[in-house]
Amino acid sequence: MARKNGLRAGEVRRSALFTLPMALLAVLLVALPLIYVLGTSLVESGQSFSFGAAFTLDNYRRLLRADYLMVFLGSLKLAFLTTLVSLLVGYPFAYCMARAGRKLKSLLMMLVIIPFWTSALVRIYGWKILLQANGPVNAVLRGLGLIEKNIKFLGSYGSVLLAMVYCMISFMILPCHSAVDKLDLTLVEAARDLGSKPWRAFLDVTLPLTMPGILAGCVLVFVPSVGMFYLSDIMGGGLVLVGNLIRDQLLKVRDWNTGSAMSMVLIVITAGIYLIYRRSGGDDLGVF
Amino acid sequence: MKKFFALLLALVMMSACAMAETVNQKDEAVLNIFSWEGYIDYSTVIQPFEEQTGIKVNYATFASNEEMYEKLSAVNGGDYDIILASDYILNTTREAGLMQKFDPEIVSNFGNLNPDFTHQYFDPDSEYVVPYVSGIPLIVYDPSVVDVEIKGFSDLWNPALKDSIGLIDDARVTIGMVLLSMGQSMNTTDDAVLAEAAEKLAALKDNIHVLEYENLHNYLVSGDVSVAYTFTPFVALALDANPDLAVVWPEEGLGFGIDGCFIPVNAPHAKNANLFLEFLLRPEIAAVCAEWQYYCSPNAAAMDVISDWYKENPVFSGIYDRIGDAEYVKNLSSADEQKFQDIWTTFKLSL
Repeated sequence: MARKNGLRAGEVRRSALFTLPMALLAVLLVALPLIYVLGTSLVESGQSFSFGAAFTLDNYRRLLRADYLMVFLGSLKLAFLTTLVSLLVGYPFAYCMARAGRKLKSLLMMLVIIPFWTSALVRIYGWKILLQANGPVNAVLRGLGLIEKNIKFLGSYGSVLLAMVYCMISFMILPCHSAVDKLDLTLVEAARDLGSKPWRAFLDVTLPLTMPGILAGCVLVFVPSVGMFYLSDIMGGGLVLVGNLIRDQLLKVRDWNTGSAMSMVLIVITAGIYLIYRRSGGDDLGVF
Repeated sequence: MKKFFALLLALVMMSACAMAETVNQKDEAVLNIFSWEGYIDYSTVIQPFEEQTGIKVNYATFASNEEMYEKLSAVNGGDYDIILASDYILNTTREAGLMQKFDPEIVSNFGNLNPDFTHQYFDPDSEYVVPYVSGIPLIVYDPSVVDVEIKGFSDLWNPALKDSIGLIDDARVTIGMVLLSMGQSMNTTDDAVLAEAAEKLAALKDNIHVLEYENLHNYLVSGDVSVAYTFTPFVALALDANPDLAVVWPEEGLGFGIDGCFIPVNAPHAKNANLFLEFLLRPEIAAVCAEWQYYCSPNAAAMDVISDWYKENPVFSGIYDRIGDAEYVKNLSSADEQKFQDIWTTFKLSL
């Protein structure tokens, strides 16, 4: 047992020492609060999680309602659409970026990264100004003679979806880009030499070989999207998403136990998606 | 090893901050205010107070009334000297015994307040809370695109307003509006009345374009909605941007709220807190606060010194004639709040 992963025993001990602070932080800031939420979701309404508290599943039973099911399904639907649109727009972008010349590539990469330097909230307000009834988008459409009356984009489902895609798309572009970047071009050339049409070569070679990047991008976009509710609120969407439900349960109804149960269900759903991803051979995303 | 030192450094800095905090609390000339971000202006209120009294003001912020209550309970009514929050949570805080009475000897100018705004349900004997500002959600609309005349809540159901109304995304405020339109109390918990309100709310569905909490004035100014029901400062902001908008004081009744200051039961610098309350009640300071916050002022003495533009704005002055029609949204039990949330969830799902 002198060697483990090619490291000597001393090195293993030392590297364990370096991970100790991280492990400590993870326990302190992630595991303990989660255990508290789990505990709170399992005790009777109005009680806090402590020794001798009466345990119950009532908080979870209370979630078995048609309207709550609709809320969860609605959140999953929005997250699914966000992922789909991000993929349809993000993959071609990532593909072109990976295939572009050095200068253009670094320019495109900057375009993806620079928005991160500004708060998402500010950027979304920017979109609101662009989309408002007397805003620039309507002005251009009117100028081109495409519309006669201003379109009220804000408050629509589409405006919420746009904001979601806008905020999440870089998490799709970056893993897709690195997958296309790593792809051995000679394989595509070989397929072409053997008589494949370009689209056939794409479907048979490029797509399967970049699938890990696509899957990683989908998980990175889908999982945070399920719980994201502030964008819908800002765009005036008036949607009830799981996040709204949990917030109102905690702050308005002041029932922390049911609110915790809702949070646990959300955590289980997102963890389940991640597990399925890993089981089906997905890479470690480096974020979990 | 570098990371280790960085961590060590961070720990040392954290403990240094903690120590600085304890030293601060023993210092006499300090006042710790706890409120929303930007709710008391620095240059016109806090800075003059610091200069006149030599007391250093610390301003900590919370995002919601509920967060304030959780934090104040956690420190057992200590740490903070002045807290500024909303009526319903003031009531909860007083009932929980987390307030102390202000000192009428120091706060000798409490009489500056308009008596309509004192002795409220959250402080029946006016011993704990100094009202700071007051607000009333109002209907505001653009007569150039709305063909019907709007006088009250009932007019919002007019089919001519299809897809053109912006409402506040809050169960209690908006269902409360529906209840007022039915001649009922905003705080009713009667299942039959609430069922009727849910039905009436559902009938409003086609007229609603946007639900948002605090940006409805922007939708109105940009033309995305032509009618909005929103809070006082936003009504005033909308009117600033477009003076042709019409403001409606709904004939059926009014929602109403007061934000007020109190001293927590174990405030470390209660005397300084009393001095600050006296300062806030001075006419010229109360006038500045109302002008700056864009809310109605509960301070009658301030009306003598307040700017003309403020006095002439119907949004700010209208309340004095209608105070009798105003009703608070009060805190209900969890089970009753749940009834309102359920109606709201069902309604939003149907949109």
